[in-house]
Amino acid sequence: MSSKIRWTGAVLGVLGIATTLVLLWMVFFWVPTERTMGVVQRIFYIHVPAAWVAFMAFGIVAICSAVYLWLKDERLDMAAVSAAEGGMLFTTIVLLTGPLWGRVAWGTWWTWEPRLTLTLLLWFIYLGYFLVRASTDNPQRGKRFAAVVGIVGALDIPLIHLSVVWFRSLHPAPVVMKPEGPSLDPAMLATLFVGLGASTLVFFSFFLFRYGLERMTQALAHREMAAQAAPRPEGAAS
Amino acid sequence: MNTRAITFLVVAALVLLSPEMGSSQGMADASAIAGQNLRGYTHMFIAYAIAWALVVGWVISIARRLGRVEKALKE
Repeated sequence: MSSKIRWTGAVLGVLGIATTLVLLWMVFFWVPTERTMGVVQRIFYIHVPAAWVAFMAFGIVAICSAVYLWLKDERLDMAAVSAAEGGMLFTTIVLLTGPLWGRVAWGTWWTWEPRLTLTLLLWFIYLGYFLVRASTDNPQRGKRFAAVVGIVGALDIPLIHLSVVWFRSLHPAPVVMKPEGPSLDPAMLATLFVGLGASTLVFFSFFLFRYGLERMTQALAHREMAAQAAPRPEGAAS
Repeated sequence: MNTRAITFLVVAALVLLSPEMGSSQGMADASAIAGQNLRGYTHMFIAYAIAWALVVGWVISIARRLGRVEKALKE
């Protein structure tokens, strides 16, 4: 891994950890408790940032995949697969923290309402991204198929965001990203923004390390292929 | 003191110190406030624990894979 990637990843990681510690202090000692839902509403400060990072990661996957199909630059595919892995992780966090909140707020772990169902669909689409990638004997073909899945999968993101506006839904409507501006308490909004910053920094740190790993894995694969293609010296055992 | 007496004392102490016993001795307001505002405390801690466990798991996974590939490249 190049020292540039390693250092940038480490700096972002340290900043991410520091911001996360500030976030935890804000969540547990500073932010006021929501009147109706009580303490469980504090899941919001990890649930929403995780969703934000997941959507951003799948956005990166879609953009990198589209440009990869156009330019055939391997680095774009490496960036796409690295972002997809992070996106899967953060979508898993969203899908696990949401029901814990829903159990107390709604009285049920899960309901097949539009936003939850579309988020679960997103998780399965990106699971498919990895399955398609690994399913062909020809790696280049697998990468192209996965790129198409990555682009199509990102179309689910605006649907998830708008589902609470378009359909009658149990999931609350957006409280920050809405035309008339955020309707949150200023302290809650500040905590949410710190959460968004922390999760973004943590994601980009691990994304860089994952990208470095992908580059090294590809370098190793090329070296092994070159070694297999090289003519064997005479008299060498088969 | 025999074992039965110790058990009785421990159980009696636990019953006297339990929140239900406290509320019946004039602590009803505190318990009501806790019931209202601290609802779902366990769920919140589990949510944060799961998120942290997954992120740490991903870090360990990347570190292990990096170590394996670096070793293979050096050989």
